[in-house]
Amino acid sequence: MQMFLRHKWIIAAGLIPALVIYTMFSIYPILSSVYYSFFKWDGFSPKQWHGLQNYVNLIGDGVFWQSIRNNLYFVLFSVLGEIPLGLYLAMMLNGKLFRRDGIFRTVFFMPVVISTIVVSLIWNMFYNYQFGLVNTALRAVGLDHWAQNWLGNPGLAIFVLCIVVVWQYTGLYMVIFLAALQNVPSEVLEAAELDGAVGIKRTWHIVVPIIADTIFASVVLCISGALRAFDLIYIMTNGGPSHSTEVGATYMFSQTFSSMKYGYGSAISTAIIIISFGLIIISQFILRSLKR
Amino acid sequence: MEQRLRPKRPFSAQIHRLVLLLLLVINIYPLLWMVLNSLKTEQELTMNPFGIARQPVWSNYIEAWKVAKLGPYLVNSIIVTLSAVVLTLLVGALAAFFLSRFEFKSKGFLLVYFTFGMLIPIHATLVPLFIEMRSLHLMDNRLTLLLPYTAFNLPITIFILAGFMNAFPKEVEEAGIMDGCSVMGIFGRLILPMLTPALATAFIINFLNNWNEFSFALVLITDGALKTLPLGLANFAGQYNRSYTLQMAGLTIVLVPTLLFYLSVQKYLTAGMTAGAVKG
Repeated sequence: MQMFLRHKWIIAAGLIPALVIYTMFSIYPILSSVYYSFFKWDGFSPKQWHGLQNYVNLIGDGVFWQSIRNNLYFVLFSVLGEIPLGLYLAMMLNGKLFRRDGIFRTVFFMPVVISTIVVSLIWNMFYNYQFGLVNTALRAVGLDHWAQNWLGNPGLAIFVLCIVVVWQYTGLYMVIFLAALQNVPSEVLEAAELDGAVGIKRTWHIVVPIIADTIFASVVLCISGALRAFDLIYIMTNGGPSHSTEVGATYMFSQTFSSMKYGYGSAISTAIIIISFGLIIISQFILRSLKR
Repeated sequence: MEQRLRPKRPFSAQIHRLVLLLLLVINIYPLLWMVLNSLKTEQELTMNPFGIARQPVWSNYIEAWKVAKLGPYLVNSIIVTLSAVVLTLLVGALAAFFLSRFEFKSKGFLLVYFTFGMLIPIHATLVPLFIEMRSLHLMDNRLTLLLPYTAFNLPITIFILAGFMNAFPKEVEEAGIMDGCSVMGIFGRLILPMLTPALATAFIINFLNNWNEFSFALVLITDGALKTLPLGLANFAGQYNRSYTLQMAGLTIVLVPTLLFYLSVQKYLTAGMTAGAVKG
Protein backbone atom coordinates (compact mmCIF):
# COMPACT_ATOMS: atom_id res chain seq x y z
CA MET A 1 0.00 0.00 0.00
CA GLN A 2 3.03 2.28 0.47
CA MET A 3 3.34 2.61 -3.24
CA PHE A 4 -0.23 3.78 -3.60
CA LEU A 5 0.22 6.62 -1.14
CA ARG A 6 3.04 8.00 -3.22
CA HIS A 7 0.69 8.12 -6.17
CA LYS A 8 -1.88 10.58 -4.91
CA TRP A 9 -1.92 12.37 -8.21
CA ILE A 10 -2.86 9.13 -9.93
CA ILE A 11 -5.85 8.74 -7.63
CA ALA A 12 -6.89 12.28 -8.44
CA ALA A 13 -6.37 11.79 -12.16
CA GLY A 14 -8.44 8.61 -12.10
CA LEU A 15 -11.34 10.23 -10.30
CA ILE A 16 -11.39 13.57 -12.06
CA PRO A 17 -13.09 12.55 -15.33
CA ALA A 18 -16.02 10.97 -13.50
CA LEU A 19 -16.22 13.83 -11.02
CA VAL A 20 -16.18 16.53 -13.68
CA ILE A 21 -18.86 14.96 -15.89
CA TYR A 22 -21.07 14.01 -12.97
CA THR A 23 -20.76 17.38 -11.26
CA MET A 24 -21.27 19.43 -14.41
CA PHE A 25 -24.28 17.60 -15.78
CA SER A 26 -25.96 16.23 -12.70
CA ILE A 27 -25.13 18.23 -9.57
CA TYR A 28 -24.54 21.68 -11.03
CA PRO A 29 -27.95 21.74 -12.78
CA ILE A 30 -29.67 21.16 -9.45
CA LEU A 31 -27.82 24.05 -7.86
CA SER A 32 -28.48 26.35 -10.79
CA SER A 33 -32.13 25.37 -10.68
CA VAL A 34 -32.30 26.83 -7.19
CA TYR A 35 -30.54 29.95 -8.47
CA TYR A 36 -32.89 30.49 -11.43
CA SER A 37 -35.90 30.05 -9.18
CA PHE A 38 -35.27 33.52 -7.73
CA PHE A 39 -35.71 35.22 -11.09
CA LYS A 40 -38.49 36.21 -13.41
CA TRP A 41 -37.23 35.02 -16.75
CA ASP A 42 -38.62 33.97 -20.10
CA GLY A 43 -35.40 32.17 -20.99
CA PHE A 44 -34.18 34.73 -23.50
CA SER A 45 -34.41 38.36 -22.34
CA PRO A 46 -32.37 39.45 -19.29
CA LYS A 47 -33.27 37.88 -15.96
CA GLN A 48 -35.16 39.99 -13.43
CA TRP A 49 -34.56 39.44 -9.74
CA HIS A 50 -37.82 38.16 -8.30
CA GLY A 51 -36.83 37.22 -4.76
CA LEU A 52 -39.15 34.66 -3.25
CA GLN A 53 -42.07 35.74 -5.43
CA ASN A 54 -42.01 32.52 -7.49
CA TYR A 55 -42.36 30.52 -4.31
CA VAL A 56 -45.15 32.74 -3.04
CA ASN A 57 -46.98 32.19 -6.33
CA LEU A 58 -46.29 28.50 -6.11
CA ILE A 59 -47.90 28.23 -2.71
CA GLY A 60 -51.04 29.91 -4.04
CA ASP A 61 -51.08 27.80 -7.21
CA GLY A 62 -53.85 25.20 -7.11
CA VAL A 63 -52.48 23.26 -10.08
CA PHE A 64 -49.14 22.89 -8.35
CA TRP A 65 -50.76 21.35 -5.28
CA GLN A 66 -52.85 19.12 -7.48
CA SER A 67 -49.69 17.93 -9.18
CA ILE A 68 -48.04 17.25 -5.83
CA ARG A 69 -51.11 15.31 -4.72
CA ASN A 70 -50.89 13.22 -7.88
CA ASN A 71 -47.21 12.65 -7.22
CA LEU A 72 -48.14 11.36 -3.79
CA TYR A 73 -50.67 8.97 -5.36
CA PHE A 74 -47.89 7.65 -7.54
CA VAL A 75 -45.62 7.21 -4.54
CA LEU A 76 -48.35 5.51 -2.53
CA PHE A 77 -49.37 3.13 -5.31
CA SER A 78 -45.74 2.33 -6.09
CA VAL A 79 -44.66 1.69 -2.54
CA LEU A 80 -47.80 -0.20 -1.52
CA GLY A 81 -48.20 -1.98 -4.85
CA GLU A 82 -44.78 -2.73 -6.25
CA ILE A 83 -42.97 -3.62 -3.04
CA PRO A 84 -45.45 -6.12 -1.53
CA LEU A 85 -46.17 -7.63 -4.94
CA GLY A 86 -42.47 -7.79 -5.74
CA LEU A 87 -41.80 -9.41 -2.39
CA TYR A 88 -44.57 -11.96 -2.95
CA LEU A 89 -43.21 -12.85 -6.38
CA ALA A 90 -39.66 -13.09 -5.08
CA MET A 91 -40.72 -15.39 -2.26
CA MET A 92 -42.66 -17.58 -4.64
CA LEU A 93 -39.88 -17.77 -7.22
CA ASN A 94 -37.29 -18.43 -4.56
CA GLY A 95 -39.42 -21.16 -3.02
CA LYS A 96 -39.53 -24.77 -4.08
CA LEU A 97 -42.77 -24.57 -5.99
CA PHE A 98 -41.51 -22.33 -8.75
CA ARG A 99 -37.75 -22.28 -8.43
CA ARG A 100 -37.23 -24.14 -11.66
CA ASP A 101 -39.71 -22.13 -13.71
CA GLY A 102 -37.32 -19.52 -15.10
CA ILE A 103 -40.03 -18.20 -17.38
CA PHE A 104 -41.75 -16.39 -14.50
CA ARG A 105 -38.67 -14.40 -13.61
CA THR A 106 -37.98 -13.60 -17.24
CA VAL A 107 -41.51 -12.41 -17.94
CA PHE A 108 -42.06 -10.48 -14.72
CA PHE A 109 -38.92 -8.45 -15.28
CA MET A 110 -39.70 -7.85 -18.95
CA PRO A 111 -41.76 -4.64 -18.58
CA VAL A 112 -38.85 -3.01 -16.74
CA VAL A 113 -36.63 -3.11 -19.81
CA ILE A 114 -39.21 -1.82 -22.26
CA SER A 115 -39.06 1.88 -23.06
CA THR A 116 -41.65 3.84 -21.08
CA ILE A 117 -42.74 5.42 -24.35
CA VAL A 118 -43.62 2.02 -25.75
CA VAL A 119 -45.37 1.03 -22.52
CA SER A 120 -47.34 4.29 -22.52
CA LEU A 121 -48.48 3.94 -26.10
CA ILE A 122 -49.48 0.30 -25.66
CA TRP A 123 -51.54 1.09 -22.57
CA ASN A 124 -53.05 4.10 -24.27
CA MET A 125 -54.50 1.75 -26.84
CA PHE A 126 -55.41 -0.73 -24.17
CA TYR A 127 -57.59 1.90 -22.51
CA ASN A 128 -58.96 3.18 -25.83
CA TYR A 129 -62.68 3.81 -25.72
CA GLN A 130 -63.52 2.15 -29.02
CA PHE A 131 -61.34 -0.90 -29.48
CA GLY A 132 -59.35 -0.90 -26.21
CA LEU A 133 -59.14 -4.20 -24.46
CA VAL A 134 -60.64 -3.01 -21.19
CA ASN A 135 -63.83 -1.75 -22.78
CA THR A 136 -64.10 -4.65 -25.22
CA ALA A 137 -63.85 -7.07 -22.32
CA LEU A 138 -66.47 -5.18 -20.32
CA ARG A 139 -68.85 -5.13 -23.27
CA ALA A 140 -68.26 -8.81 -23.89
CA VAL A 141 -69.51 -9.67 -20.40
CA GLY A 142 -72.47 -7.31 -20.64
CA LEU A 143 -71.09 -4.48 -18.51
CA ASP A 144 -71.53 -1.95 -21.30
CA HIS A 145 -72.34 0.88 -18.96
CA TRP A 146 -68.94 0.44 -17.27
CA ALA A 147 -67.12 0.97 -20.53
CA GLN A 148 -65.74 4.49 -20.70
CA ASN A 149 -62.94 6.74 -21.75
CA TRP A 150 -60.64 5.72 -18.93
CA LEU A 151 -58.00 8.37 -19.44
CA GLY A 152 -60.57 11.07 -20.12
CA ASN A 153 -62.30 10.75 -16.77
CA PRO A 154 -60.74 13.33 -14.43
CA GLY A 155 -61.70 11.38 -11.34
CA LEU A 156 -60.20 8.11 -12.54
CA ALA A 157 -57.35 8.93 -14.90
CA ILE A 158 -54.63 9.24 -12.27
CA PHE A 159 -55.43 5.81 -10.84
CA VAL A 160 -55.58 4.32 -14.30
CA LEU A 161 -52.03 5.64 -14.75
CA CYS A 162 -50.96 4.24 -11.37
CA ILE A 163 -51.91 0.75 -12.57
CA VAL A 164 -49.55 1.13 -15.52
CA VAL A 165 -46.71 2.20 -13.23
CA VAL A 166 -47.21 -0.83 -10.99
CA TRP A 167 -47.38 -3.07 -14.06
CA GLN A 168 -44.11 -1.67 -15.36
CA TYR A 169 -41.96 -1.69 -12.24
CA THR A 170 -43.02 -4.54 -9.97
CA GLY A 171 -40.49 -6.81 -11.68
CA LEU A 172 -37.62 -4.56 -10.63
CA TYR A 173 -38.35 -5.06 -6.95
CA MET A 174 -38.93 -8.76 -7.52
CA VAL A 175 -35.37 -9.10 -8.80
CA ILE A 176 -33.92 -7.01 -5.98
CA PHE A 177 -35.76 -9.08 -3.36
CA LEU A 178 -34.80 -12.34 -5.08
CA ALA A 179 -31.19 -11.29 -4.68
CA ALA A 180 -31.65 -10.58 -1.00
CA LEU A 181 -33.50 -13.85 -0.43
CA GLN A 182 -30.72 -15.81 -2.07
CA ASN A 183 -28.41 -14.62 0.68
CA VAL A 184 -30.71 -15.81 3.45
CA PRO A 185 -29.91 -19.29 4.81
CA SER A 186 -32.20 -21.70 3.03
CA GLU A 187 -33.36 -23.47 6.19
CA VAL A 188 -34.86 -20.24 7.47
CA LEU A 189 -36.69 -19.67 4.21
CA GLU A 190 -37.86 -23.24 3.95
CA ALA A 191 -39.32 -23.10 7.40
CA ALA A 192 -41.03 -19.83 6.57
CA GLU A 193 -42.11 -21.03 3.17
CA LEU A 194 -43.91 -24.08 4.48
CA ASP A 195 -46.30 -21.73 6.23
CA GLY A 196 -45.36 -18.58 4.34
CA ALA A 197 -47.38 -19.86 1.45
CA VAL A 198 -50.49 -19.12 3.48
CA GLY A 199 -49.19 -17.62 6.69
CA ILE A 200 -48.47 -14.00 5.92
CA LYS A 201 -47.78 -13.60 9.62
CA ARG A 202 -44.76 -15.90 9.46
CA THR A 203 -43.40 -14.14 6.42
CA TRP A 204 -43.82 -10.82 8.15
CA HIS A 205 -42.05 -11.96 11.30
CA ILE A 206 -39.27 -14.07 9.80
CA VAL A 207 -38.42 -13.15 6.24
CA VAL A 208 -39.14 -9.43 6.25
CA PRO A 209 -36.88 -8.65 9.21
CA ILE A 210 -34.01 -10.58 7.62
CA ILE A 211 -34.12 -8.61 4.40
CA ALA A 212 -35.24 -5.37 6.08
CA ASP A 213 -32.24 -3.40 4.79
CA THR A 214 -32.99 -4.35 1.21
CA ILE A 215 -36.61 -3.37 1.72
CA PHE A 216 -35.54 0.03 3.08
CA ALA A 217 -33.30 0.60 0.10
CA SER A 218 -36.13 -0.45 -2.21
CA VAL A 219 -38.57 1.96 -0.61
CA VAL A 220 -36.13 4.81 -1.22
CA LEU A 221 -35.63 3.68 -4.81
CA CYS A 222 -39.39 3.32 -5.22
CA ILE A 223 -40.15 6.81 -3.92
CA SER A 224 -37.54 8.50 -6.06
CA GLY A 225 -38.67 6.38 -9.01
CA ALA A 226 -42.33 7.32 -8.55
CA LEU A 227 -41.41 11.00 -8.37
CA ARG A 228 -39.55 10.66 -11.65
CA ALA A 229 -42.73 9.75 -13.52
CA PHE A 230 -42.76 12.04 -16.50
CA ASP A 231 -42.53 10.16 -19.79
CA LEU A 232 -45.56 8.04 -18.99
CA ILE A 233 -47.82 10.98 -18.20
CA TYR A 234 -46.41 13.22 -20.91
CA ILE A 235 -47.33 10.58 -23.50
CA MET A 236 -50.53 9.17 -22.04
CA THR A 237 -52.43 12.26 -20.87
CA ASN A 238 -49.99 15.19 -20.86
CA GLY A 239 -51.41 16.13 -17.48
CA GLY A 240 -55.01 16.32 -18.63
CA PRO A 241 -57.94 16.26 -18.59
CA SER A 242 -57.96 19.68 -16.92
CA HIS A 243 -54.75 19.04 -14.93
CA SER A 244 -56.26 15.97 -13.24
CA THR A 245 -53.17 13.86 -13.99
CA GLU A 246 -50.62 16.65 -13.70
CA VAL A 247 -47.50 15.76 -11.70
CA GLY A 248 -44.68 18.03 -10.65
CA ALA A 249 -42.50 17.13 -13.63
CA THR A 250 -45.20 17.65 -16.27
CA TYR A 251 -46.27 20.93 -14.70
CA MET A 252 -42.67 22.10 -14.54
CA PHE A 253 -42.24 21.12 -18.18
CA SER A 254 -45.32 22.95 -19.44
CA GLN A 255 -44.65 26.06 -17.35
CA THR A 256 -41.07 26.25 -18.59
CA PHE A 257 -41.15 25.14 -22.19
CA SER A 258 -44.71 26.00 -23.21
CA SER A 259 -45.46 29.07 -21.08
CA MET A 260 -41.81 30.21 -21.16
CA LYS A 261 -41.67 30.87 -17.42
CA TYR A 262 -38.15 29.66 -16.73
CA GLY A 263 -37.96 31.11 -13.25
CA TYR A 264 -41.27 29.64 -12.22
CA GLY A 265 -40.37 26.30 -13.78
CA SER A 266 -37.13 26.32 -11.82
CA ALA A 267 -39.05 27.01 -8.63
CA ILE A 268 -41.19 23.94 -9.38
CA SER A 269 -38.01 21.93 -10.00
CA THR A 270 -36.61 23.04 -6.67
CA ALA A 271 -39.87 22.12 -4.97
CA ILE A 272 -39.70 18.64 -6.55
CA ILE A 273 -36.19 18.17 -5.18
CA ILE A 274 -37.20 19.31 -1.69
CA ILE A 275 -40.29 17.09 -1.68
CA SER A 276 -38.33 14.09 -3.00
CA PHE A 277 -35.72 14.26 -0.31
CA GLY A 278 -38.29 15.15 2.31
CA LEU A 279 -40.29 12.02 1.48
CA ILE A 280 -37.20 9.86 1.49
CA ILE A 281 -36.16 11.15 4.91
CA ILE A 282 -39.68 10.73 6.33
CA SER A 283 -39.93 7.19 4.97
CA GLN A 284 -36.60 6.34 6.58
CA PHE A 285 -37.84 7.55 9.95
CA ILE A 286 -41.02 5.51 9.64
CA LEU A 287 -39.17 2.38 8.54
CA ARG A 288 -36.54 2.73 11.27
CA SER A 289 -39.23 2.97 13.92
CA LEU A 290 -41.03 -0.02 12.39
CA LYS A 291 -37.85 -2.03 12.62
CA ARG A 292 -37.66 -1.56 16.36
CA MET B 1 -38.90 -32.73 -0.72
CA GLU B 2 -40.96 -31.52 -3.62
CA GLN B 3 -42.98 -34.69 -3.66
CA ARG B 4 -43.69 -34.28 0.01
CA LEU B 5 -44.59 -30.65 -0.23
CA ARG B 6 -47.24 -30.95 -2.89
CA PRO B 7 -49.50 -33.43 -1.22
CA LYS B 8 -48.99 -31.59 2.03
CA ARG B 9 -50.32 -28.25 0.85
CA PRO B 10 -51.89 -28.95 -2.46
CA PHE B 11 -54.56 -26.30 -2.18
CA SER B 12 -52.44 -23.26 -1.40
CA ALA B 13 -49.85 -24.38 -3.93
CA GLN B 14 -52.52 -24.48 -6.61
CA ILE B 15 -53.74 -21.02 -5.63
CA HIS B 16 -50.24 -19.60 -5.90
CA ARG B 17 -49.71 -21.27 -9.24
CA LEU B 18 -52.95 -19.74 -10.45
CA VAL B 19 -52.00 -16.28 -9.21
CA LEU B 20 -48.60 -16.49 -10.85
CA LEU B 21 -50.06 -17.68 -14.12
CA LEU B 22 -52.57 -14.87 -14.05
CA LEU B 23 -49.80 -12.33 -13.46
CA LEU B 24 -47.84 -13.94 -16.27
CA VAL B 25 -50.75 -13.37 -18.63
CA ILE B 26 -51.17 -9.78 -17.41
CA ASN B 27 -47.49 -9.19 -18.15
CA ILE B 28 -47.49 -10.69 -21.61
CA TYR B 29 -50.95 -10.06 -22.96
CA PRO B 30 -50.76 -6.30 -23.62
CA LEU B 31 -47.67 -6.87 -25.75
CA LEU B 32 -49.15 -9.83 -27.58
CA TRP B 33 -52.41 -7.97 -28.16
CA MET B 34 -50.48 -5.16 -29.79
CA VAL B 35 -48.46 -7.46 -32.04
CA LEU B 36 -51.59 -9.31 -33.16
CA ASN B 37 -53.41 -6.07 -33.91
CA SER B 38 -50.47 -4.60 -35.80
CA LEU B 39 -51.36 -6.92 -38.68
CA LYS B 40 -54.97 -5.81 -39.02
CA THR B 41 -56.67 -3.15 -41.04
CA GLU B 42 -58.06 -0.21 -39.14
CA GLN B 43 -61.54 -1.53 -39.72
CA GLU B 44 -60.79 -5.02 -38.48
CA LEU B 45 -59.24 -3.58 -35.34
CA THR B 46 -62.53 -1.94 -34.32
CA MET B 47 -64.63 -4.90 -35.36
CA ASN B 48 -62.48 -7.60 -33.86
CA PRO B 49 -59.92 -6.33 -31.34
CA PHE B 50 -59.38 -9.73 -29.71
CA GLY B 51 -58.63 -12.21 -32.45
CA ILE B 52 -55.92 -12.92 -34.97
CA ALA B 53 -55.94 -10.97 -38.23
CA ARG B 54 -57.89 -12.74 -40.94
CA GLN B 55 -55.47 -11.53 -43.54
CA PRO B 56 -52.20 -10.16 -42.15
CA VAL B 57 -51.48 -6.68 -43.48
CA TRP B 58 -47.69 -6.76 -43.57
CA SER B 59 -47.61 -3.44 -45.37
CA ASN B 60 -48.42 -1.80 -42.01
CA TYR B 61 -44.83 -2.47 -41.06
CA ILE B 62 -43.35 -0.97 -44.17
CA GLU B 63 -45.52 2.10 -43.89
CA ALA B 64 -44.88 2.54 -40.15
CA TRP B 65 -41.13 2.33 -40.76
CA LYS B 66 -41.34 5.09 -43.37
CA VAL B 67 -43.94 7.31 -41.73
CA ALA B 68 -42.23 7.37 -38.34
CA LYS B 69 -38.74 7.71 -39.91
CA LEU B 70 -37.58 4.77 -37.80
CA GLY B 71 -34.48 4.21 -39.95
CA PRO B 72 -32.61 7.45 -39.17
CA TYR B 73 -33.84 7.47 -35.57
CA LEU B 74 -32.51 3.96 -35.11
CA VAL B 75 -29.08 5.02 -36.35
CA ASN B 76 -29.09 8.04 -34.01
CA SER B 77 -30.12 5.90 -31.07
CA ILE B 78 -27.35 3.40 -31.73
CA ILE B 79 -24.68 6.12 -31.98
CA VAL B 80 -25.81 8.01 -28.87
CA THR B 81 -26.42 4.91 -26.78
CA LEU B 82 -23.18 3.14 -27.56
CA SER B 83 -20.94 6.18 -27.25
CA ALA B 84 -22.47 7.06 -23.88
CA VAL B 85 -22.14 3.47 -22.64
CA VAL B 86 -18.47 3.29 -23.62
CA LEU B 87 -17.66 6.63 -22.00
CA THR B 88 -19.57 5.75 -18.82
CA LEU B 89 -17.88 2.37 -18.46
CA LEU B 90 -14.40 3.80 -19.07
CA VAL B 91 -14.75 6.72 -16.71
CA GLY B 92 -16.84 4.76 -14.21
CA ALA B 93 -14.52 1.76 -14.01
CA LEU B 94 -11.55 4.02 -13.40
CA ALA B 95 -13.34 5.93 -10.65
CA ALA B 96 -14.68 2.75 -9.09
CA PHE B 97 -11.16 1.29 -9.08
CA PHE B 98 -9.74 4.12 -7.01
CA LEU B 99 -12.80 4.33 -4.78
CA SER B 100 -12.76 0.63 -4.08
CA ARG B 101 -9.08 -0.32 -3.92
CA PHE B 102 -7.41 2.74 -2.36
CA GLU B 103 -7.56 4.57 0.92
CA PHE B 104 -7.61 8.37 0.93
CA LYS B 105 -9.18 11.13 2.96
CA SER B 106 -12.11 12.17 0.79
CA LYS B 107 -13.10 8.61 -0.12
CA GLY B 108 -16.15 8.41 2.16
CA PHE B 109 -17.44 11.74 0.96
CA LEU B 110 -16.98 10.85 -2.69
CA LEU B 111 -18.84 7.57 -2.30
CA VAL B 112 -21.82 9.39 -0.79
CA TYR B 113 -21.51 12.13 -3.42
CA PHE B 114 -21.77 9.65 -6.26
CA THR B 115 -24.49 7.55 -4.62
CA PHE B 116 -26.57 10.71 -4.19
CA GLY B 117 -26.93 10.80 -7.96
CA MET B 118 -29.19 7.76 -7.89
CA LEU B 119 -31.80 9.72 -5.95
CA ILE B 120 -31.79 12.93 -7.97
CA PRO B 121 -35.17 13.57 -9.56
CA ILE B 122 -33.78 13.94 -13.06
CA HIS B 123 -36.64 16.07 -14.31
CA ALA B 124 -35.70 18.76 -11.84
CA THR B 125 -32.53 19.15 -13.91
CA LEU B 126 -34.23 19.53 -17.29
CA VAL B 127 -34.58 23.30 -17.24
CA PRO B 128 -31.09 24.13 -15.94
CA LEU B 129 -29.52 21.50 -18.18
CA PHE B 130 -31.27 23.01 -21.16
CA ILE B 131 -29.93 26.44 -20.21
CA GLU B 132 -26.46 25.06 -19.52
CA MET B 133 -26.33 23.23 -22.85
CA ARG B 134 -27.52 26.30 -24.68
CA SER B 135 -24.85 28.49 -23.13
CA LEU B 136 -22.18 25.87 -23.91
CA HIS B 137 -23.48 25.79 -27.51
CA LEU B 138 -24.01 22.07 -27.16
CA MET B 139 -27.63 21.93 -28.28
CA ASP B 140 -28.56 19.77 -31.24
CA ASN B 141 -25.24 18.11 -31.59
CA ARG B 142 -24.00 14.55 -31.57
CA LEU B 143 -22.39 15.25 -28.19
CA THR B 144 -25.49 16.76 -26.63
CA LEU B 145 -26.92 13.62 -25.08
CA LEU B 146 -23.57 11.92 -24.49
CA LEU B 147 -22.65 14.01 -21.45
CA PRO B 148 -25.95 13.99 -19.51
CA TYR B 149 -26.42 10.29 -20.22
CA THR B 150 -22.95 9.61 -18.90
CA ALA B 151 -23.47 11.83 -15.86
CA PHE B 152 -26.74 10.17 -14.87
CA ASN B 153 -25.49 6.63 -15.36
CA LEU B 154 -22.20 7.10 -13.52
CA PRO B 155 -23.67 6.63 -10.02
CA ILE B 156 -25.22 3.22 -10.67
CA THR B 157 -22.20 2.16 -12.74
CA ILE B 158 -19.73 3.12 -10.02
CA PHE B 159 -21.99 1.52 -7.42
CA ILE B 160 -22.08 -1.82 -9.24
CA LEU B 161 -18.40 -1.87 -10.21
CA ALA B 162 -17.06 -0.73 -6.84
CA GLY B 163 -19.35 -3.18 -5.05
CA PHE B 164 -18.01 -6.00 -7.18
CA MET B 165 -14.38 -4.93 -6.73
CA ASN B 166 -14.73 -4.74 -2.97
CA ALA B 167 -14.94 -8.51 -2.95
CA PHE B 168 -11.53 -8.91 -4.63
CA PRO B 169 -8.75 -9.98 -2.24
CA LYS B 170 -5.96 -7.53 -1.38
CA GLU B 171 -3.44 -9.98 -2.81
CA VAL B 172 -4.38 -8.87 -6.30
CA GLU B 173 -2.55 -5.56 -5.97
CA GLU B 174 0.24 -7.08 -3.92
CA ALA B 175 0.93 -9.58 -6.68
CA GLY B 176 0.87 -6.74 -9.17
CA ILE B 177 3.39 -4.71 -7.18
CA MET B 178 5.68 -7.71 -6.82
CA ASP B 179 5.66 -8.12 -10.58
CA GLY B 180 6.54 -4.46 -10.98
CA CYS B 181 3.19 -3.32 -12.34
CA SER B 182 2.34 0.37 -12.24
CA VAL B 183 -0.99 1.45 -10.77
CA MET B 184 -2.51 1.63 -14.22
CA GLY B 185 -0.94 -1.70 -15.05
CA ILE B 186 -2.72 -3.27 -12.10
CA PHE B 187 -5.96 -1.70 -13.24
CA GLY B 188 -5.60 -2.73 -16.85
CA ARG B 189 -4.04 -6.15 -16.52
CA LEU B 190 -5.42 -7.48 -13.26
CA ILE B 191 -8.58 -5.68 -12.24
CA LEU B 192 -10.33 -5.12 -15.57
CA PRO B 193 -10.26 -8.79 -16.62
CA MET B 194 -11.64 -9.81 -13.24
CA LEU B 195 -14.30 -7.12 -13.53
CA THR B 196 -15.83 -8.52 -16.72
CA PRO B 197 -19.07 -9.89 -15.20
CA ALA B 198 -19.84 -6.60 -13.46
CA LEU B 199 -18.90 -4.67 -16.59
CA ALA B 200 -21.37 -6.80 -18.54
CA THR B 201 -24.17 -5.91 -16.14
CA ALA B 202 -23.25 -2.24 -16.11
CA PHE B 203 -23.14 -2.32 -19.90
CA ILE B 204 -26.64 -3.78 -20.13
CA ILE B 205 -28.15 -1.38 -17.59
CA ASN B 206 -26.49 1.59 -19.26
CA PHE B 207 -27.55 0.41 -22.67
CA LEU B 208 -31.19 0.02 -21.69
CA ASN B 209 -31.27 3.34 -19.81
CA ASN B 210 -29.84 5.28 -22.73
CA TRP B 211 -31.80 3.39 -25.35
CA ASN B 212 -35.09 4.16 -23.61
CA GLU B 213 -34.29 7.68 -22.41
CA PHE B 214 -36.88 10.23 -23.42
CA SER B 215 -36.94 13.47 -21.44
CA PHE B 216 -33.38 14.72 -22.04
CA ALA B 217 -33.73 13.91 -25.70
CA LEU B 218 -37.06 15.73 -25.80
CA VAL B 219 -35.63 18.91 -24.33
CA LEU B 220 -32.12 18.95 -25.79
CA ILE B 221 -32.74 17.69 -29.33
CA THR B 222 -34.97 19.68 -31.62
CA ASP B 223 -33.24 18.91 -34.91
CA GLY B 224 -35.27 16.17 -36.62
CA ALA B 225 -32.10 14.67 -38.09
CA LEU B 226 -30.66 13.99 -34.62
CA LYS B 227 -33.73 12.57 -32.87
CA THR B 228 -33.60 9.21 -31.17
CA LEU B 229 -36.10 6.34 -31.31
CA PRO B 230 -38.19 7.26 -28.23
CA LEU B 231 -38.73 10.72 -29.73
CA GLY B 232 -39.73 9.16 -33.02
CA LEU B 233 -42.24 6.95 -31.24
CA ALA B 234 -43.65 9.92 -29.36
CA ASN B 235 -44.73 11.20 -32.77
CA PHE B 236 -47.26 8.40 -32.76
CA ALA B 237 -48.94 9.98 -29.74
CA GLY B 238 -49.54 13.11 -31.74
CA GLN B 239 -49.66 13.40 -35.46
CA TYR B 240 -50.22 9.78 -36.49
CA ASN B 241 -52.72 8.81 -33.86
CA ARG B 242 -55.41 8.40 -36.49
CA SER B 243 -53.95 5.10 -37.51
CA TYR B 244 -53.68 2.76 -34.58
CA THR B 245 -52.64 -0.28 -36.56
CA LEU B 246 -49.75 1.66 -38.02
CA GLN B 247 -48.81 2.75 -34.53
CA MET B 248 -48.90 -0.83 -33.30
CA ALA B 249 -46.69 -1.93 -36.17
CA GLY B 250 -44.20 0.85 -35.37
CA LEU B 251 -44.14 -0.06 -31.70
CA THR B 252 -43.66 -3.73 -32.53
CA ILE B 253 -40.67 -2.86 -34.69
CA VAL B 254 -39.06 -1.17 -31.70
CA LEU B 255 -40.28 -3.62 -29.09
CA VAL B 256 -39.10 -6.86 -30.67
CA PRO B 257 -35.36 -6.05 -30.81
CA THR B 258 -35.48 -4.75 -27.22
CA LEU B 259 -37.09 -7.97 -26.05
CA LEU B 260 -34.65 -10.11 -28.02
CA PHE B 261 -31.76 -8.17 -26.51
CA TYR B 262 -33.25 -8.62 -23.06
CA LEU B 263 -33.84 -12.33 -23.51
CA SER B 264 -30.28 -12.90 -24.69
CA VAL B 265 -28.66 -10.95 -21.85
CA GLN B 266 -31.14 -11.40 -19.01
CA LYS B 267 -28.94 -13.91 -17.21
CA TYR B 268 -26.13 -11.35 -16.82
CA LEU B 269 -28.54 -8.53 -16.12
CA THR B 270 -30.29 -10.09 -13.16
CA ALA B 271 -27.10 -11.72 -11.86
CA GLY B 272 -25.29 -8.40 -11.76
CA MET B 273 -28.25 -6.49 -10.40
CA THR B 274 -28.52 -8.95 -7.59
CA ALA B 275 -24.82 -8.52 -6.83
CA GLY B 276 -25.29 -4.76 -6.71
CA ALA B 277 -28.51 -4.88 -4.73
CA VAL B 278 -27.09 -7.10 -2.01
CA LYS B 279 -24.25 -4.70 -1.41
CA GLY B 280 -26.71 -1.83 -1.12
